[in-house]
Amino acid sequence: MPGETHNGMQCNEFETLLFDALDQKLAEGQRERFRAHARVCGKCGPMFAEVEAGQHWLKSLAEVESPANLVNEILAATTGIQSYRLQAPAAAEHRASLGERIREWADSLFAPVWGTVRQPRFAMSFGMAFFSLSVALSVAGVKPSDIKSADLSRSGLRRTYYTTTARVVKYYENIRLVYEIESKVQEIKKVTRPDERKQEKERERNHKNNTSGDPEPRQERNYSRDENQPVLASGPQNPLAVSVTTTRRDV
Amino acid sequence: MAWEEIVQRYNRRIYNICYRFAGSADDAQDLTQEVFIKMYRTLSSYDVERGAFMTWLTTMTRNLLVDHFRKTKQDRVTDSMDAAPSEHEDAMPLSEQIEDKRLPPDARVQSRETGEVVHEALQKLSPELREAVILRDLQDMDYRDIAAVLKVPEGTVKSRINRGRAELARLLQRIYRQVM
Repeated sequence: MPGETHNGMQCNEFETLLFDALDQKLAEGQRERFRAHARVCGKCGPMFAEVEAGQHWLKSLAEVESPANLVNEILAATTGIQSYRLQAPAAAEHRASLGERIREWADSLFAPVWGTVRQPRFAMSFGMAFFSLSVALSVAGVKPSDIKSADLSRSGLRRTYYTTTARVVKYYENIRLVYEIESKVQEIKKVTRPDERKQEKERERNHKNNTSGDPEPRQERNYSRDENQPVLASGPQNPLAVSVTTTRRDV
Repeated sequence: MAWEEIVQRYNRRIYNICYRFAGSADDAQDLTQEVFIKMYRTLSSYDVERGAFMTWLTTMTRNLLVDHFRKTKQDRVTDSMDAAPSEHEDAMPLSEQIEDKRLPPDARVQSRETGEVVHEALQKLSPELREAVILRDLQDMDYRDIAAVLKVPEGTVKSRINRGRAELARLLQRIYRQVM
């Protein structure tokens, strides 16, 4: 009800004076009329009480302290220079705590590495490497469950080394034995079939003497049978004459 | 005046404005840094004849806070005393919105400082009312300077301050009425 008048003051005038009234800036006569209106007006009285209470609540809020590192961060962000005035007591505090110094040193050491590790590309590469390794191990038949803590001890590692070395040497010796046996067998074959050896030598000699440049005649030897074996499939000496008689049909 | 001296002298004041307006200490720290970075870049453009340094600095802070508010798109819970309650407000009273439902009312009052409750209630005011009461009642600025900072007429400043105070009182009354 802005137009309502109580004690010679309208509600809209009361609202206008409200701010100054709370700041104690009203003249004596004005203040009296203002208070009288607040007492009798059903709208302005509660409104005045609320505004006064709100001001009281707001004034009760204490000023908060800014963070200790704020000035340094601002100076570092603007000028790139940190305040030594603030750093000196901070440094003294840090000197007292060895654990914090070690943690800071570790952070400065691992922060760049950790920053790289946290990149998605690195995580992807690491995942692929891990996948490849696990596939390779599973193909090789190595199971992580087979690995025991004892295997990683000094004696265990030494035992693994000697076992692996012995296995490699044994494999080498076996291969060597196989080759030796094969070469012996070939030598025995040469000794038992001298004719074949002679034929091979002659063939080699002919091949060397042939300087005409013509291609070597194709060897049409049928390796699937011997010379005295009967020919099972061959064409007829004279081709068969087939006489075809056609009759013309008039339609 | 050296730059470091300016930072030393005004950082607390700017931090308090930011903290009371943004609500969180982390945001306030970031915003305070932004204010000083902006001030460092534009310090040469400050003209003594155009107004007091504090008004210039507060205007810069206020503009940055408004930008921050627009970016974060906070919901405007209250507008003014005279505004009709929205559907949202009907569905959930403001006093219920700011209360902590994890604890019973009496334990809540005991566990939380009065200052925290008032600070939380302050965040529920609309930005227009909040900035006006912060500058007036927390920073003790003259309403003429506030009018210069907010770029609104002096009468509007007075009206916003009154509405902001009254709205805050109503919010807090509802809270304390519930817990008593």
